[in-house]
Amino acid sequence: MPTALVLELRKMRRLRVGIVCAAMVAAVVALTCANLVSDTARSGFDDPADQPWESLLMGYVMVSAMTSPILVAVLASRQVDMEHQGQGWTLSRVAGFGPGLLCRAKVAALGLVLAVAVPAQTALIVMAGLAAGITVPPSPGMWAGYAVRLLLVDLALLCLHVWLAARVDNQLVGLATGMLGAFCGVFSLLMPPALARVLPWGYYAIISPLGMGEEGFLTVTPGYGWLAAFLVVVAVLFGVAGRRLDRREA
Amino acid sequence: MDDIITTHRLTKTYGSRTVVDDLDLRVPRGSVYGFLGPNGSGKSTTMKMLLSLVRPSRGQIHLFGRPMNRDTRPDLLRKVGSLIEAPPGYAHLTGRENMAIVQRMLGLSDRQVSRAVSTVRLQEHMDKRVRAYSLGMKQRLGIAMALAREPRLLVLDEPTNGLDPAGIEEIRELLVSLAADGTTVMVSSHLLDEVDRMASVLGVLGRGRLIFQGTRAELFDRSLPDLVVDTPEPGRALALGVPAVRAERGIRLSGLDDEDTAALVRRLVEGGVPVYGVRRVQQTLEEVFMDLTGREGLV
Ligand SMILES: Nc1ncnc2c1ncn2[C@@H]1O[C@H](COP(=O)(O)OP(=O)(O)O)[C@@H](O)[C@H]1O
Ligand SMILES: [Mg+2]
Repeated sequence: MPTALVLELRKMRRLRVGIVCAAMVAAVVALTCANLVSDTARSGFDDPADQPWESLLMGYVMVSAMTSPILVAVLASRQVDMEHQGQGWTLSRVAGFGPGLLCRAKVAALGLVLAVAVPAQTALIVMAGLAAGITVPPSPGMWAGYAVRLLLVDLALLCLHVWLAARVDNQLVGLATGMLGAFCGVFSLLMPPALARVLPWGYYAIISPLGMGEEGFLTVTPGYGWLAAFLVVVAVLFGVAGRRLDRREA
Repeated sequence: MDDIITTHRLTKTYGSRTVVDDLDLRVPRGSVYGFLGPNGSGKSTTMKMLLSLVRPSRGQIHLFGRPMNRDTRPDLLRKVGSLIEAPPGYAHLTGRENMAIVQRMLGLSDRQVSRAVSTVRLQEHMDKRVRAYSLGMKQRLGIAMALAREPRLLVLDEPTNGLDPAGIEEIRELLVSLAADGTTVMVSSHLLDEVDRMASVLGVLGRGRLIFQGTRAELFDRSLPDLVVDTPEPGRALALGVPAVRAERGIRLSGLDDEDTAALVRRLVEGGVPVYGVRRVQQTLEEVFMDLTGREGLV
């Protein structure tokens, strides 16, 4: 593993990243599965026409759009603020680790954490559905595909937040941006797609495999092309921003 | 080549403001170089340029006799330990975990780390979180981080800032013993007495310019001690319009060289002032320092 990444994982100790993530996963699972206990939902657990899995997944899409921006903002700010507080930028720079490299390593380290958290919460939700008694068979491809796309959008926003936390010392700015993002995330599901595509948080809607129709949930093709373009743009911007951070004077 | 740091016309401007102006520094091998100057005189900016944290607007830097440029920089900086402005340290981690991060960052051995820790005498506090450290302990941890790579040059920016006299004394002993073992130390301060007793060479900065560079003895030679004229009639002397102040049993004047002194005595005698004696009074280093920086209109 590259040294910069190992260093970030070591700095993560005692930051309670695990607890923060576990709490967020628990909240997402609880909010998503709240519907499973209602009687009207229960009555349709064995009828494909009642779309029990679609209903659960749509709930997951909404809850993720609301909670992910906040989780990403919190994780990024915790992992970056220690460099401001502890003179870590200078310490690393004189050892040959520029701020751009530090930021990339932070995204990688936090990305590893999310790569555990997102599949885990997705699996927990499906398990909760089975445990609650849904007998209609789930479509694993739809769930897995959504989990992968959710992780990718989280990673893109992580780049944004790590850069913001590094650039602006005051971490309230990043956290407030995360709150705003949560708001945008929820409403992106109701926005016209053209607007959702220009907002980073709109991609929480664009990756949804389901839409709302007259007769209930419709299977839709997620915006793969737009998602790919968004990821490329963020990667390029993050690369350029890293180089600019490297050129900044201490 | 026996200067570890030399700079040639080193300059930094921010917009139209020149904060470091044409510095020709000479830091001799094995010295403790006291880099003095009031707050805002450009000490930190100079040290940051030496460490490539700030790009010089003009001028050259040589470290260990080699010019610093894009190609040589990583190699040169590997031999430099530094502490700039505030001591580094991740507050949520223990001292040991912080040292482990530095160890991994620089690829150091366990022996190098434990030696640095014992040099600053922090062994007993290594399992405490840095959040719980006193300022003195943080400074010592920062110095241990700088020392762990066994640097040939140590650049410390105000390492005694905010320490009590005992803490300052401890750092002084540490730096003097490091220099005795061959490490060159450049240490800045805005307070003369904090570096006076540790420095073998002094560089005095005022408004970005190097006002003085040399040994303590040379600094005394450079400054003019005040002149005291013993006379029973100081009032009469002052009435002649000489730029003096009343002193015990006479008058006191500053900034007079030998020629000026001869002229003054002539004037007093012609004015009928009884002159019992004329003598120089030895200044303290503090006064010399104030005199130098004051002359630049700084204090
Ligand atoms: N990044 C910067 N932009 C503009 N002015 C600066 C910058 N850094 C330092 N200065 C100015 O340069 C001067 C010297 O600062 P500094 O080197 O920190 O002095 P010292 O360390 O001697 O107290 C100060 O007046 C300070 O305001
Ligand atoms: Mg300073």
